[in-house]
Order: sequence, then structure tokens, then C-alpha cells
Amino acid sequence: MGVPEPEESFLSLDAKLLRFMDQLELLEEKRATLNSLIEQGWFSLSKARYSMGNKHVSALQYASEIEPLVCVHARTLDNGEAEFCIERVTQSKESGKDERSVEDIGPQEEGVRRRNKPKKDIARSEKAPEVTPVKKNDQNPQQDPLKWFGILVPQSLKQAQLSFKQVIELSAEIAALQIAILNTRQELKNSMKDKHALQKKTSTAQVDKVAD
Amino acid sequence: MAGRGKLIAVIGDEDTCTGFLLGGIGELNKNRKPNFLVVEKDTSITEIEETFKSFLARNDIGIILINQFIAEMIRHAIDAHMQSIPAVLEIPSKEHPYDASKDSILRRAKGMFSADDFR
Repeated sequence: MGVPEPEESFLSLDAKLLRFMDQLELLEEKRATLNSLIEQGWFSLSKARYSMGNKHVSALQYASEIEPLVCVHARTLDNGEAEFCIERVTQSKESGKDERSVEDIGPQEEGVRRRNKPKKDIARSEKAPEVTPVKKNDQNPQQDPLKWFGILVPQSLKQAQLSFKQVIELSAEIAALQIAILNTRQELKNSMKDKHALQKKTSTAQVDKVAD
Repeated sequence: MAGRGKLIAVIGDEDTCTGFLLGGIGELNKNRKPNFLVVEKDTSITEIEETFKSFLARNDIGIILINQFIAEMIRHAIDAHMQSIPAVLEIPSKEHPYDASKDSILRRAKGMFSADDFR
């Protein structure tokens, strides 16, 4: 039969409702963690501001070139839910590039320079290919945002950064959970409608039976 | 951009933005458009709303974080957003603790138990 048995539909409705409640509970837990982490971050920021000076931790210190160090891979699943996966750009990439550029320069430079060259040599050296200077600006501008606020920043600013990094990870989980909750709600709504339709049908059938 | 994944945008007070930018989410794109908005006392609601809508329209943004007290100012725009991506997340601010009863998503979920659903 196409129409599910009433008991079966009631059971699936109960299961969905339980899932919905579980998701809400999980969201509440994650929200509490997120809130406490953000609070911790602000507290550390305030401590850093106290030790560095009021104007040294503000929007004025943001760099003029900002590259993201975090990205999120968002993907919608078949069941309508979404998945958010945080990916962090590692700083080691930057340092690797630096090393390579140093290696590139090395062999092109002469080991010993003669200051008093004969004229012939000077003419020759003029023709010699010039060593291309390393353009610092062309390198990856990605740098630790901590450096916007100074070279030697207090430990509390590092702690603030750590807290906010955790908040970013958690916010992706919460975003996915919120979408899952809205989906479960929609499913529940549909099941509820089905249940009412089924109940109506059953009661009509019973009335017909009694009438016969 | 496509291979790199999406960005996280933030609309918030100075400390919230500074914190998240420290976390590494900030970006200034080729057109010098940032993925964050520092809301100050003199920032108008229109500006906030326009920035929020521009973040929604950008396809390189996956999550929008917004302080709840700022979300309250543009509640209609947040409620009108029904797509799952970008996801909008309301977060507390220093002076305004998080209130679940104001959260758009939770209010929608709470609507589950309204009279309409039982009809």
C-alpha cells in the first residue's frame, strides 16, 4: 500500500521530533562554548590593550593588504543540509617560498668581488646579465595578523588570537547545525501534515463503516 | 578563488572585528572591498544593510557573522534571507549578551510549535 500505516508514521514522526530536540540541545551547548570563547577573546584583547596602550589595538592597525588565512569549504548535501569545513592556510608555505628565493639568488652572485678591476673587466661586467633583485612586495603578502600590532606583542594578544581561531572553527559547526535544524523542522512539518491527512482518512473510513 | 573555498565575513563592533581578523578571516579583494564592516556609533543602518546585502550577493562568502545587536537593526533583511549559503550566524557583542529568543534561526525553529503547524 502506498499510504503508510498510522503507527509507522507516528513512530517516524516521534523519531524526527527526538532528532530535532537533540539538534537543538547540541546547538545550545555549542552556542554556550562559542559565547564563552568569544568572551575569553575579548578579555585577552582588553588585557593586550591595557599593556600596549589604548590606541594600539584598534581598527587603525589593520594592514592595508589583507589576505585571508582561513577559508571555508561550503557544500550542500543531497538532503538539503550543508557542510562547512574550515581550512587554514599554513604559514609554512610562506617560509618555504622565502627559502627558495634565497636559493635562486645564491648561484648568480659571485663569491668574491674585486674592487679594483682593470678596465676590460669593467666593460665585460657591464655586459654581464644583471642579477634580478628580489621583489619583497611580490612575495606572498600573507602574514600573521599579530604583526599588524607590532613585532613583540604581548602574550594576551596571542591568547586572543587563539580564542578567535577556535571561535571560527566552532562557528562553522554551528552554521551547519543551524541548517540541519531548519531542515529537520521542515521534515517534521511535512510529517505532521501527512499524519493529519492519515487521521482524517481513517476517521472517515470508520464513520462510513458505522453508517453501513 | 573557486579552489580556495569561501570566506567568512563579519559585521560587528571594533573588538569583534579585530578578534576575527586576528583569527585570519580578513580579506581585501582586488577592488579593495573588505569582507568585514566595523560598526561604530556613527555607522548608519542603511550602510549596515547595504553591506549585509552585498555580502549575501557575493558568491565567495560562505558564512556571515554578525553581532546580535546589529542584526536587530536589520532584522527584516536577515529574516528575508532563506538560503543555506551564506549561513548567517548571530554572535554576542561586548555590551549585548547573546539572546536566543532574538535569533532568527531559533525563532524559525520555535515556530515549529505554533498553531499553524498543528493544522
